[in-house]
Amino acid sequence: MKRSKVISSLAIVVAAVAFALLSCGREVDVRPAGAGTDRPAEVFPDYREVTIPCNIAPLNFYYTDPEGRAFVTTFTAPGVSVKIRGREIKWKEKQWKKLLSAATGSDIKVSSSYRSAREEVVLDWLMHVSADKIDPFLTYRLIEPGFEVWDDLEIRERNLESFEERAISDWKHTQNKCMNCHIHSHARGDLSMFYLRGQGGGAILNRGGTLRKLTLKDSEMISPTVYGEIHPGGRYGVFSTNIIIPAMHSFGPNRMEVFDTGSDLCVADFDQNHMFTFPQFAREDVFETFPVFSAEGDYVYFCTAPSKKLPAEIDKMMYSLVRVPFDAKTGELGTQVDTVWNARTRAKSVCHPKTSPDGRYILFTIADYGTFPINHSECDLCMMDLRSGELVPMDEVNADKSDTYHSWSSSSRWFVFASKRGDGMFGKPYFSHIGEDGTVTRPFLLPQKDPHFYDNMLRSFNVPDLGDAPVGFDAQEIGRIWREMPAEQFD
Amino acid sequence: MNRKGRRILWICLAVVVLAAAVSQFLFFFRYPYFRRYAAENGVTLLEARRAWGHPSEISEVAMGLAVEAARENWDRVAQIASVDRKSEVGTYYYNLSNAMRGTLPDRLMDYYQPFERGLFLPVGEKSTPFIIACASDVWFALGDMSMAERDAMLGMLFSPSHTGPRYLRRLAETNLVKGDTQAASKYLRILLNVPSHRRWAHSRIPGSWSPAVQSRIEAKRALLPRTDVVHGMDQTQIILRVLLNSNPSNKMALDYLLCYDLLTKDLDAFVADFAPNLTSSVLYEEAILIFLASKGGMSEDNWDHYHVSPSTLERFNRFVTLYKQNDGAMSSLEEFRKTYWFYFYFASHNEKK
Repeated sequence: MKRSKVISSLAIVVAAVAFALLSCGREVDVRPAGAGTDRPAEVFPDYREVTIPCNIAPLNFYYTDPEGRAFVTTFTAPGVSVKIRGREIKWKEKQWKKLLSAATGSDIKVSSSYRSAREEVVLDWLMHVSADKIDPFLTYRLIEPGFEVWDDLEIRERNLESFEERAISDWKHTQNKCMNCHIHSHARGDLSMFYLRGQGGGAILNRGGTLRKLTLKDSEMISPTVYGEIHPGGRYGVFSTNIIIPAMHSFGPNRMEVFDTGSDLCVADFDQNHMFTFPQFAREDVFETFPVFSAEGDYVYFCTAPSKKLPAEIDKMMYSLVRVPFDAKTGELGTQVDTVWNARTRAKSVCHPKTSPDGRYILFTIADYGTFPINHSECDLCMMDLRSGELVPMDEVNADKSDTYHSWSSSSRWFVFASKRGDGMFGKPYFSHIGEDGTVTRPFLLPQKDPHFYDNMLRSFNVPDLGDAPVGFDAQEIGRIWREMPAEQFD
Repeated sequence: MNRKGRRILWICLAVVVLAAAVSQFLFFFRYPYFRRYAAENGVTLLEARRAWGHPSEISEVAMGLAVEAARENWDRVAQIASVDRKSEVGTYYYNLSNAMRGTLPDRLMDYYQPFERGLFLPVGEKSTPFIIACASDVWFALGDMSMAERDAMLGMLFSPSHTGPRYLRRLAETNLVKGDTQAASKYLRILLNVPSHRRWAHSRIPGSWSPAVQSRIEAKRALLPRTDVVHGMDQTQIILRVLLNSNPSNKMALDYLLCYDLLTKDLDAFVADFAPNLTSSVLYEEAILIFLASKGGMSEDNWDHYHVSPSTLERFNRFVTLYKQNDGAMSSLEEFRKTYWFYFYFASHNEKK
């Protein structure tokens, strides 16, 4: 054999060995797992006994038993059976879609078996596949739980039917500006907004794909607008103005406390560039916050509480849920305030109300006290049937950590929320189905291509918000608007 | 290319490779802490240089302090900090290393003290990422896991790769101390998948602690606050008082509080916080004498109560005499440069334009 041939043969062998070594890699260490850790269940994400929409991306997961081996998982639906070996379940998209399609309206039966350190483990479980589709787009802000400062923020839009994700606003195009979460108006991709803060910033309003940059403040307001929502008609927005103070807990499970020392209501007329303020909702002795419209747009729901000496009396700060009529012809809020959920009698505090697009439900968060329960581990979701005033049982949904920042799908059949279940630090998007009879199902975690994605994720999914269509802009366009478009003034 | 040409090419390539290797070797040799600090931040040397620029003698010292403090090598920290370079980070670690060895007040006036910023590094929008990365160390040592966790989280947030073993280890430990094993397991799992930190993380998996780890966690737990007070991020005195209310024997917290009072020249707070039976230092005696003199309280009873020694009293009288004789001229009081009296009367903020 010629010398050159020997050398090239050797090179091929060396390359093959190197490739084999690299591709085998070391197995991911899944410890710690089990009771008392953030991976208490046998599988993560725990997709056992969940209800999923028929258009969801593949539910990849892994087995958490560090000592486990010889994993075999069989998925069965009418006419389809798929067997996967190994700790990680990573679906091929076509295979998953076939399974999902076969199981729509019924169940996927899953049979898992593996050898743990002591015994053979067999798990039989179901995934219920609802025929109700979920809105295919989800926007969220990715942010580190960094208390009062930020770095490298971005708002992303994820296609829930696949693993596609894109930035709709990011730090790269805005010189690391602060940006607040993106919200759709009742899950409409063509009607949404978010804030870019700081110099060159403003409220970015998306109406039918046309983007505007707005300075939503007039001389009577205590701050620029903070929380709020766009009217279903698209002309108005209702907002709160808040003086927000961050603080820390010295002890206990709740790390941070954020409270307002003042908050009022206002309405923005996006057609006339006019801010409406209201003396009845601008009192110093009463706080109003988190306003949203009813499905029809004829009421504004918001949270309200009498002011207290803060932070000394923070644990006495209880917000009730109330509503007031809204006149979509004039942009005026009425004066007749109805109490929907009374904080005094229930000894809890409400925030983040969101009405379902069909007008039947209002979903909100309750905590022991305060107005910013994202750091309150006791904070849970609560849902009221607006036809009866009855509360819908939510035991299947809530966990022992903060569950909040929810939004509805356009069909009112699904809602998404950020939950800190598990580690208690990082919010992750969970989805629940609500049936015709008002039954709410066990939530499932947003699936990711890599089943270990959440193990390494050190950012929170902040304010996950469902959309029926992609928003018609991207981070590059937002960067151009930030740089070049002057903000429209409101009076 | 002919044979000679190929040979020249090979020689040139070999020289370039050799030069690069020598350059890297010299770099490692000259800036070992830059390399270690980069590793703690989970970035390569190239990424580190892109983020922090080329290292210098000054940055090497600062990173050395941060690296050795993270490993709790307090003697080494003290050794690196022994040369007073008049930097906030240098003073911060100088003070911390003294505190860990029980000599914070005794050594306080021996060194550049940029007011309270030499005790607690300011964390805010104007702080550099390096300052923020170091800010957690003092809180962890004092036993305030909430503040230690917050500063570690912010340090990670501003680190080049938004992660790094330096921060993950601190986050894991603060949560283990607080008993939040669910949060701790998140960070431990990430570290278990970093070969160089696997052993450390493994030793801290709940349920498999060695006696040394158990004892370390329990010692920290004993320092935890036991009451919940909602406080601002920068309300340092309140935070320290909460620690002390729960554990009056936390001498390090007491010394930090008293030194904070003194460096901010808040003598009323100092007297209110001072517990003569729990801690003592010539520094405190000096401060008490200023307070007593200004309040008309120069009596034997008070000197006894505050444990003021005759020698300190004698020196104070001389200081006052010289001060009066020379209309408060600083030059006439050089012999008192390392006293609290000198700091109290002459230390002023550098106003940066």
